[in-house]
Formats: sequence, C-alpha cells, structure tokens
Amino acid sequence: MIKNFLLTTFCFFSLCVFSQVRDIEGSVADKESGMPLLGVNVIVEGTSQGTTTDFDGNFILPSVQEDATLVFSYLGFKTLKIKGAGQTQFDVKLESDTEALDDVVVIGYGSSSKRKITGSVSTVNSQSIQDLEPINAATALQGTSAGVSVTPQSGAPGAESNIRIRGVSTNGNSSPLIILNGAQYDGGLNSINPQDIESITILKDAQAAIYGSIGANGVVLIETKRGERNQSAVVSYNTYVGLQETTRELSLLNANEYVLLTNEKYANAGLDLPYTNLSQINNNTDWQGQVFETPTVISNNVSIRGGSENTDYSFSASHLDQGGIVAPDKSNFKRTTASISLNTDVRDFLNVSANVFFTNNRSQGINSFGLGSVLFNAINIAPVISRNQNNLDGTIDLGNEVVNPLAQINNTFNDFESNRLSGSFKAELEYVKDFKLTARYGFNSSKLNNREFFPEFNFGNGKVFNRPFNQVNLNQQDFYDYTFDLFNTIEKTFFDDLDVNFTLGTTVFRAHGEGLFASRTGVPRNSFQFADLDTAIGVGDNQTNGSFVSEFRRLSYFSRVEFSYLDRYLLSGIIRRDTSSNFGPNNASAWFPSVTAGWIMTEEDFIGTSDFINFAKLRGSYGQLGNDQIGNFLFLSRLNGEATYVFGEDQSLTEGQALGPLANPNVKWEISTKLDLGLDLEFLNRDLRVTFDYYRNEREDLLIPSIPTSGIFGTSAPGSLAPTINAGTVVNKGIELSLNYSKEVNDDFSFSVNYNLSTVDNEVTQINGAPFLEGGQFSVGQLPPSRMEVGLPIGYFYGLKTDGIFQSQAEVEAHPSQALLGATARPGDIRFVDVNGDGAITQDDRTYIGDPIPDVTMGFNLSFNYKNFDFSAYSFANLGSEIVRNFERDQVNVNMLSRRLDRWTGPGTSTTEPRVSAGATANKLFSDYFVEDGSFLRIQTISFGYSLPTEALKTVGLTSVKIYAKVDNAFTFTEYSGYDPTASTGAPIGGGIDLGFYPLPRTYTLGLNVKL
Amino acid sequence: MMNTFYNKCTLILIAFALVSCSDDFVDVDPPFQLTSETFFETEDDFRNALVGAYDLLQATYINVILGEIASDNANAGGESATDVVGWQQVDRMIHTPVNDDIDNVWDFNFAGVYRASYIIENKDKIDFDGKEQIIAEVRFLRAYFNFELVKWFGPIPIKPEGRFELGEETSIPRASVEDVYAYIENDLNLAIPNLSPQAVEVGRATKASAQALLGKVHLFQDEFGLAAAQLNEVVNSGFRLYGTVPEEDVLNLFEYEAENSAEAVFEIQYTGTEGAGFDCLQCSEGNVMVGFSGVRGYDGPLYESGFGFNLPTQEMFDAFETSDLRKELSILDIEAWAADTGAIFVIGNQDPQTGHTGYYNRKYIPRQNENLGDANLTQPNNYRAIRFADVLLMAAEALNRGSINDVLALDYVNQVRNRAGLPDINVSGSQLTDEIYRQRRLELVGEGHRFFDLVRTGRAAQQIEGFTAGKNEVFPIPLEEIQFSQGNWEQNPNY
Repeated sequence: MIKNFLLTTFCFFSLCVFSQVRDIEGSVADKESGMPLLGVNVIVEGTSQGTTTDFDGNFILPSVQEDATLVFSYLGFKTLKIKGAGQTQFDVKLESDTEALDDVVVIGYGSSSKRKITGSVSTVNSQSIQDLEPINAATALQGTSAGVSVTPQSGAPGAESNIRIRGVSTNGNSSPLIILNGAQYDGGLNSINPQDIESITILKDAQAAIYGSIGANGVVLIETKRGERNQSAVVSYNTYVGLQETTRELSLLNANEYVLLTNEKYANAGLDLPYTNLSQINNNTDWQGQVFETPTVISNNVSIRGGSENTDYSFSASHLDQGGIVAPDKSNFKRTTASISLNTDVRDFLNVSANVFFTNNRSQGINSFGLGSVLFNAINIAPVISRNQNNLDGTIDLGNEVVNPLAQINNTFNDFESNRLSGSFKAELEYVKDFKLTARYGFNSSKLNNREFFPEFNFGNGKVFNRPFNQVNLNQQDFYDYTFDLFNTIEKTFFDDLDVNFTLGTTVFRAHGEGLFASRTGVPRNSFQFADLDTAIGVGDNQTNGSFVSEFRRLSYFSRVEFSYLDRYLLSGIIRRDTSSNFGPNNASAWFPSVTAGWIMTEEDFIGTSDFINFAKLRGSYGQLGNDQIGNFLFLSRLNGEATYVFGEDQSLTEGQALGPLANPNVKWEISTKLDLGLDLEFLNRDLRVTFDYYRNEREDLLIPSIPTSGIFGTSAPGSLAPTINAGTVVNKGIELSLNYSKEVNDDFSFSVNYNLSTVDNEVTQINGAPFLEGGQFSVGQLPPSRMEVGLPIGYFYGLKTDGIFQSQAEVEAHPSQALLGATARPGDIRFVDVNGDGAITQDDRTYIGDPIPDVTMGFNLSFNYKNFDFSAYSFANLGSEIVRNFERDQVNVNMLSRRLDRWTGPGTSTTEPRVSAGATANKLFSDYFVEDGSFLRIQTISFGYSLPTEALKTVGLTSVKIYAKVDNAFTFTEYSGYDPTASTGAPIGGGIDLGFYPLPRTYTLGLNVKL
Repeated sequence: MMNTFYNKCTLILIAFALVSCSDDFVDVDPPFQLTSETFFETEDDFRNALVGAYDLLQATYINVILGEIASDNANAGGESATDVVGWQQVDRMIHTPVNDDIDNVWDFNFAGVYRASYIIENKDKIDFDGKEQIIAEVRFLRAYFNFELVKWFGPIPIKPEGRFELGEETSIPRASVEDVYAYIENDLNLAIPNLSPQAVEVGRATKASAQALLGKVHLFQDEFGLAAAQLNEVVNSGFRLYGTVPEEDVLNLFEYEAENSAEAVFEIQYTGTEGAGFDCLQCSEGNVMVGFSGVRGYDGPLYESGFGFNLPTQEMFDAFETSDLRKELSILDIEAWAADTGAIFVIGNQDPQTGHTGYYNRKYIPRQNENLGDANLTQPNNYRAIRFADVLLMAAEALNRGSINDVLALDYVNQVRNRAGLPDINVSGSQLTDEIYRQRRLELVGEGHRFFDLVRTGRAAQQIEGFTAGKNEVFPIPLEEIQFSQGNWEQNPNY
C-alpha cells in the first residue's frame, strides 16, 4: 500500500513537476515485409520494465523515463535500441538477422544452407517472381538462373514452356523433374498460381542423385508460400490489368509489290502473266493487321496468411483471364486457383502440415503452330484477296493449304477445360532428440475435358481444311498420381566439431490415367451450340470411340549422409535404388550413387576473412542419375498392332490381333554421369557474391525410339514399330558464372545487380545401330532438315551450303551441275557448294549448316529502390544459336517477305536474294539461305513502382499499397526476320525450325498491391 | 533412457517395415491389354492372330505393281521421271541397294513371314477343334510371303520354327535358294492335307490355293513332274474360267462382280470402307496399286483418277491380236476412250523410256465407287493372286516342258485361248512352249507375273531393256539390311 502510494506520488511528480516519465506506445514490424510482429520483447534498458507486442505488433509501456533507451529484441531479427527523445510513439521496424548464407536451400528429402551446400543449385525467390509477375512460373526462371533455359512452346495463351537444364542431353524427354512441396508434379506449371510460390530451387548436378532414375534432366523444387508464425493475418490483394500486342509484324509485300513480283515469277518461267490489268486489283489486304489484336490480360489475387505461436496458415485465391493476340475470342486462357496451407506443431516433437490447391483452367485455341496455322496463312495468303472472301475459288491458286485466316478463325471451335487438385500432407515426428521421422503423401488428380467442333465448310476447291461434313470430337481424361515418402533423418554432432546428417527413406510413386474419346458427325445446324455426341445424328464409319488406360509405378530407396567437420570440410554421399514398372526383367533395378564435397576456405586460419573477401567455398560433385521417361512397358510384347482383313461374302472388315511395336526386353533407363566443380565467393562485406561452375554431363544409353531395324522382325507391319533401344551418348559441358551485387547505400537508396552467363557445348558421341537419326520438317515433301550424328550437336541442321547467286550463264556453266537437285540452274539462282567434291551438286552435298543450341546464354537483372520508388529490369540473351525460317509456303502465288524485293534481276543486282520464278528451281531446297542467326537480347520486364507512405495508410487501416507499371517482353534485339527468335518446337531433333510461331505478346501492365 | 531410445527406434523400424513395399509393387501388367505372354490361350486368340497374318497380304500390292514395272510390260509413269524414284530406277533397270521401294518389298513380305511365324511358334500352346485348319492357312501364308521373297531376293534368312529375334540378323545366314524352296514346300505340304477344299469363309486359303502355290513353286524350280501333279489336281477341283457360262462376260473379269468368282483360286481381298494415308501404305485396307495405276487428272465415265503409274507399253499393246478380247479387257487406250466419251485426263511423266504411253492397266485402275479417306489409296479391287487361267497355263507349261503330256497341255492352252475369243490352235513341243509363254504374257499382263516368268525361263535379258544377266535376276538386298547384318549377309552378285 505504501509502495503504491509512493509510486503514485512519484508519478505525479514526474508528470506534473519534472515531466520526466510518460506512457509510451508503438508498434513493431518486419522491415522487409512491413508485417507486424507478435511477441517482440520491448524492454526499458537497465530496468526490469518491459512488455511484448500483441497480435497486431502493438505495445504500450506506461511511465517510461523520457530519455530511457528501449530495447527491441526478437528471435531471428537484429536487436534494436532506440533512445527516447521525448516522443511517446515508437513505430519501429526490425531487420532480419539472417545472413544470406544461412538461407535454407531445399535439396530434396531435406535441406541445407547456402553456406554448406556442396551441389550446384540455383534459386529463384518470391521477390523475383513478384517483380516479374509471370503468367507461367517457368518464365521466372528465364534469365534469372544460370544454366536454365526456358522457351515458351508458343505465345498462345495457356501455352506451356520447355525448361531445359544444362542443355539438351537426350533425343527423348529432356524436361526436368518438378517436385512441388516434396511430391512429384507432372502437370504443367500453368496450373500453379505464380503468386503462391515461395521459392523455386533447381538442382543441376549430381546432388540430385537422391532422385535417382528421375533426376537426370535436373530437378526443379517448388515450395509454396506459408503463413508466418506469430503474425496476425495479413490480407494481400494484388491485381493487374495488361494490354497485349504483337511485338512484330513481318514485312510482307503489299498488293502492288505482290503483283509486280508474281508477274515477274511467271515471266521468268516463260509463262503468261497472271495480272495483266492492274486496275483490276481492288484489294490490298494487310492480313497480319487483320488477325492481330490487342486483348487484355487481367489478374486478381487474394491471400490471407498468418500464424500463431504453434500454427501458421495460408489461404489464397486467384483468377487470370488472358486473351490471345491472335483471335482473342477463339484463343484465350482462364485460370482460377484456390489454395490452402496449414502447418501446426501438435506437440514439441510432432509437426503436421497440409497443403492443397485447386486449379481450373479453361482455354480455347486456334491452329497456332506450323503449316496451316492462322499466322502461316496470314503470311502466305495474297494481299490482293479480300478479307471477306471465305472461299478462295476464283482467285489465284495458293495451293491446297493456304486459306483465308479469318475464315479459318471463324470456323474454329473448341473448348478445353482441366480441373486439378494437388496437395501434400506431411507429418514430422522427432521421436528421439535429433532423430526425426517424416511421412509425406503428395497427390495430383486432374480431369481434362476437351470438346472440338469442325463445322462443314468449304475454303475453296481442294483445300485440306475443307470439311465435307461436320464433326464433334470429345475426350475426357483422368489422371491420378501419388507420391508417398517415408524417411528418417538423424542430425547429430560428434566430438564437438563433426556434424553428421543422415537420411534414409523410401518413396513410392504411382500414376494412373484413363481416357475416353469419341467422334460424331451430323451435328445439327452445323453449329457448335449443338456439338454433342447425343445430338449429333451422323451414321457411318466416322462415329468412333476409343479409350486408354495407363499405369506406372516406381519404388525407391535412398540414403544420404552428410559430414561437416570444423564447419569447413564438407562431404556427402548419396545412393538411391529404383525399381519401376517401366523396367523390364533384364534390368529390374537401378542404383544411382553420387558424392559431393566442399571446402570453406575462409574458415581456415591461414586464409581467413578480410574486408575484401568474406567467404570462399570450393565444391565438387560427381555421380550418376537416370532418366526413366522411356515409355511404358517397352520391354513387353503387346497385342496392340493392327490386324484388319476382308473376309466373307459381303467383303466386310474383320478385326484380329497382332503384335504392336517390337519389344526390347533389355530396355533400361538413360544414365547421366555428372561432374560439377564450383566456387562460391563473397566479397565487399558480402555485397558481391560470385558463383562459378564447370560442368560436364555425359548421357549414356540414350533411348532411341523406333531405331532402324532389320525388316525380318516384322516392324513394318501395320501397328508395329521398330523397338526402342538404348543406343546413344550425348555430352554437354560448359561453364556457369553468376554475379550478384547488392548494396544498401543508405536508408533511402539501395540497388542490386545480377548477371549470369552459361555456356553449353553439346556433342553427340555415339549412336549404335544407325549412322544418324533424322527429324524435323522443312517445307513440304523435302528431306528431314535436322540430324543427330556423332561429332556434332544434337539436332543440327543438315542442308545445302550456298555460295552466293549465279550472276551469269558463264558462272552457271563453270560450276558443277545442279540439275540433279531437280532443276538446271540459271543466272539468278542460288549457287550451292559441291561439298563432297564429286563434280555434281546433289543432296549428297548436304552438310552442317548450323544448330539451334545457343553457345552462350546470359541474364542481366537490375533493381533500384529509392525512398518509395522501386525499379526493376530483367533481360536475357542467347548467343550463337541458329534458326530456320520455314513459314514461307513454297507455292508460286503466295505472298512473300519484303526482302524478296531485293531479288536478283540481272548481273550484279544481288548476291544474296535469288531470282523469283514460277518455274522449277532448286532455290527452295533446304540450305543455309533459310538458316538465320537466332541470337537475341530480350528486355523481358521493366517495372516501375511507387509505394504509398505507410503513415498515411495507417489511418485508413492499410499496411502497404503499391502501384506499379510494367512492360513485359518489352523489346528484343535480333537479326532474325521471323516473329520471334525463341520459336521452337523444343524437339531435340527438329527444334529451332520456325513454322510461323505464335509470337509472345508484349504486355503493358498497370498493377496494384494492397496489404492490410 | 537408453531403453526408451531403442524401443522407439524399434517401433520406427517396424513402422517402416509395415509401410514399405517390396519390388512386387512395380510388377504390374499393362492394364486391359493382351501381352505376348498371355496370348494363344484361347481359340479366338488363334483366329485373331490369323487375321493379322492375312493383313500383310494387302501390302503385297507393291510386289505386283513393281514386278509389272520391272518387266517389259509397262513403264513406270507417274508425274515426272523422278516420281517415286525407286520405281523409275527399277523400270530402267538401274536400281541399286539404295531403293526405298525394293526395301518395302523386303519389309512388307518379311512382316508377313513374321506374323505367320508368331502363330506357328505358339501352335502347340493349346488344342481345339479346327486348329489344324488355322495352322494350315498360316503355313500357306508363310509360304506365300517366302515365295515372294525368294523370287525377289534369292537367298533369304529363314527360321522355320518361329520368329526371328533381335540379334539373329547377325547370326542367321541367308539360306540357299534350294533351302528356301524346301522350307516353302514343307510348309505347303504340311498345309495341304489340313486345308478345307471349300474356303472357311470367302477370302481364306483353300486346299487348292496351297496346291496351286506348291505347283508354282515347283515350276519355278523346273520340277515339272511335281508341278504338273499339283496343278492337275487343282485343274480338276471344280474351278471354271470366268465368262464361260452365259450369264458372265469375260470383259468383267476384273470388275467387282467377278471377285471371288469360280476362277478364283486365291484372291487377296481389299475394301474401300476405311481410309488410309501415305505414311503407312501397307496399313491400307484398299489396293494401293490401283490408285497409283489410275489415269492422272481423269474426269469422265466409269473410272476414277489416279497417279498414272504402271503404264503398258506400245509393244505390249501391239502384242494382242485385234480379235483378242483380252486387249480391251487388259488395256485402256486413254486417247481412244477420251475421244469416245469426252473424258479428260492429264499426261504426267513424258520421259520416252519410263513415261506416258497412252495406255493404262485396265485390270487394276480405279472404278468409280464409294471409298473413304484418300480415294487413291483405298480402292477395293481384289488382287487375283492365283486364278484358274494362270493354273491352266502353269499346268500346261509343266506338262509341255516336262515332256509329260502335250495333248493335255494343248487342251489347257486352248481353254484359255477360247475364253479370250481366239480359236483353237494345234501345236506341240517347243512351238507349244512358245505359245504357252505368249499366252501367259497376254493372259496375265498387269498382274505382276511377267518379270519373274521371264527370269525363270531365261528370257529376261533378251526381253527387258537394261537387264543385266547375272545380276538383275534378283533384286539387291536393301543396303540397310546389309548394314544391320554386320557382314552376315552378302549382297547379291554384281550389286
């Protein structure tokens, strides 16, 4: 009682007489995220007086000395001391205490730190994903990670990307393994909302051996966002609206130029001119202008994340609606996602988490690739044709493929929908100190529905797209897979300095798929509106049904042991054993071993750290991984061939059974032997971080499908096929360098610069049983343009070599005859090189004329923060790749690129562009005339943002508000004359051939991020 | 403390053991699919596999059209002198081991052998009524394909007990022609007793089919007595030349109404009810040869257009007497036809040696009909592989050349002549031999037999322009096959 009295008296005096003490209040937040922090200790220095922050990060301390020093401390953050100077409001921000080197890096069935990791790893964090805000998360890997190449399959909305890690190593499937929250994920990245992604980690070397037979193409580990512990719910709302346009329209001939050159073609062939009366040319249709539009892309994303002391949670939902830059009504993509993540410590020793997301994708598509695509038609159709002429009869003959692209769009009807539910459930039990057991069940369930309708339509006599009757095709496919992991981890320190981490476990994977297909004709009113199996009334052979069932299983055991001695000598060994339903009895199980080692030199006394160098680590890895994407049951003879004959009085078809593709009982996984030597350095107060890697991957036992085989094995029978045999070797080697410099100059200004470079040197070193493999397509009816052959890069271009243009008949006669190419050369024709020196130009003179693999890829990324402004720019470049221009239809009357205006018309007029002619020439044959330099530099994203002052926001209850403007695919510097130098099917043999690629759109975006 | 630790660890180990799978987990069968291991366990399996073996007969269209082009009967034709370059080369007799079309002959016929051998390999797996008939048909089919192969390539690898297995291309040698024939004869001799005299259903091989083939096989070896014995049995098996009864007209012999007629000893069945594509010509259920032989750019009555290959030569056309009904039956004179009917057509290849002649192989050019898919690949014309007229002429040849019975031989020849509207002749000895040869050409033009008849009777070099004796009697083994065999198979002489 007396004490209270005294205190009150004291306070009274303080307040009234000396004003020495007062109540203070304030809030504590995370400097990086701006999120309020719960449970921060706030203590008046030198006293026992103190409190902790509440759920909203707020605190109140009564009666504090005016000049007292407040100490804010919180686990994982730097302790902050503030000396009072009379104010009563303290809004402080705590800075994270973790060094970048201590960042957790997921490595599969466990994690490591940047400091101690001994494998080659690239990571892309949520900041980069937020800066780039890609529609497809794969885009965030482009230019941000050394050694990772991402090429979109198309610019059409909803198109997936091909991801390749350290080059193309196989003629088969080169896609990396994607592990989403620990479970194998075979769906496209398009089904994942990029804003849900916390980090993407790429394992590039033998460290991925923990994934054994599925790791040879590299492993992409994706972790999704979780809530933060001890944090009140943070509600984020992110939205943007973008306007998209094509980055380029090809320079084509206008109607006058077209008439001029077409007449010249006929004149050069000694034929009558098709256009004699120029006044009859009424149209000058800009077909590209007709098909390209500027649609919007709109994204909305809401998330709620937070956590208590023992539990964190995350909810999010998003919707994306993207139109295509060609025919947005018929080419578009809508994605709706919802996800939930919960993670709770049930007991000190038991953690349970669940993570589920649902995605609904809907898309419509137009013919967007290759011969017959809308853009192919827009490029090739004559400008003298009216946009309204749906049936091209009566106009100039454009061959059987080229049709009015607008009519084609109008007659395209389809609807693709997929519903996917993916997730994982995990329990971690620390049953004895340092002994942890993890059980995890991950699953993917997806259902795909496709509906296509082909209306009865006549594009003109003989056109291949003509439909004499309409048809509806339906298909439904269900896929389900699960990954069940059970592994035990022991983490213990022996003899004070030896840290040991031992993991032993098993994984079970099963994938099952089923599908039903059906087609019907006779859709009422020739309308998509009635395009269903039930309503269609067609009869006859085109009413078809089909189905499939697929089943795949894999069982794996794995172990990893990691040693760290004196925090500087690092060694780990990995072994995994896989069995799989794809492996035949002759090769039932596979073992994949690897070792990695590291030496943190700066921990050595004789090197030590200095102001200049802060960290240096030498590391290396060596081991074997496999690729089991070899097709199901190839080792087994199945009765899935075709057996159809005609029996009986009525000559009816009789179906029987016959062997399908020839089995190869010895079929096995591809083996990749990977070597990596790396150096990680940090300089200048850790502001400059350098990583260097040398790698060499040798992929052996490449699976060569349908390898040429003797006819005595019956492989030419209907429905049969030559076997798939392990018969090749490809080596990729190169270096990777990445430089990061980030600097906080002062409270107002910080910046970071990132540069990375990687090289790939690809060489096929062995093919058994065949001198080479061919693939790809150039023009129509020509020999395959791409080859895989020993001593050369996989998928190199194989064609004729040119040597200028014949300027005169004398030059023609002085040169070996080109007649065997199908046409006798004349002045103005391309002069081909007699490569084999046999005195005649034939297809035997074909040779290496380029390859689609870039020698060097680079990324350069910048970001600045000044006060409330931020700016970022991402760019990447490919150097030394070639690309084949193959979007010009080889037909007399089609439109042409403007470059043809510079054609040869007489001696000395051109040494690069051959004459035009309606007659037979060899100029159309695949040669380096069609091969262009595919090098480019692309400014991928430029973004400029402004964050509203937090003080002002507080009054309206908001934590942060940012508005930004962004341009995606802003500019591409390239010599290439097509739409996009990244055009490629991605095929290992036959890639890099541009058949009229749907270009990636340029997008102008305005966005808003709000947190409350 | 230590106890708890061990207890817990034991529990964990038990838990591991409980959830762990054994390798059996990955031991799954392809869902809902038949595999080789579980096949041939029911009667239906055998029947279904038999359909698969018959299927390859349809691919032998290539033997017919290319055999015809190889002979002095026809030019290659086509769009230009380089259209289907492999055929053009064969026409000029300049073909080499690098020839996709000769490779197709090898591949397609070996595929037939493979499918037949697959059944024979498993013939003892189960027993059921009617198995003998099925196995006998299979043996007939295997003999048919092997006979084609030995005609085209001479010595070929053989494996009577079953299918070739991967790797055997480097170890199983090309058997001598004698051994191949012995193998073929063995298959046929095993087949004949078990084959039904009447086809189980239309299109299936009969006893007479196998006997006729066996007779032909003997004839090709100049074993005239054995040939005559088999062929005479066929002659007396109730067949009849088409057009020799009032309701039939010989000019319809190659129309649909005469398919599987009383003249058919063995006929390869085709239909137009299913589409086909160029990427798998051997998959077509139609007769690919027919579309390829059609008149280019044809628009007019009765026929459909085609690709204009396989053009009978002027010399062939002139070989017919004016009164020979087979002139009209066998050859379409397009200019005369166009003048009569106003039909239009396009001339393709104009090369003097391989190009346009004005004549088309009327036996096998497309008739107007309803067929699906690419009309040129799905013509339904059955190929009359062995017909009674052929049997009569082969029998006559065996009887005559074997000096067995010229009277009977002459009777057979006159039956064929009469049906063609020609009067009896009365010759014997070598004059009769010449007449038999002449009638074989006139009767069977356009059916793919001529080249092999010329070769087996030693007349090829004098008849076929560009033919090199000692070389062109057989076709080259495809180069890739030589490579696959890694030195096990030698190339045919002089290729």
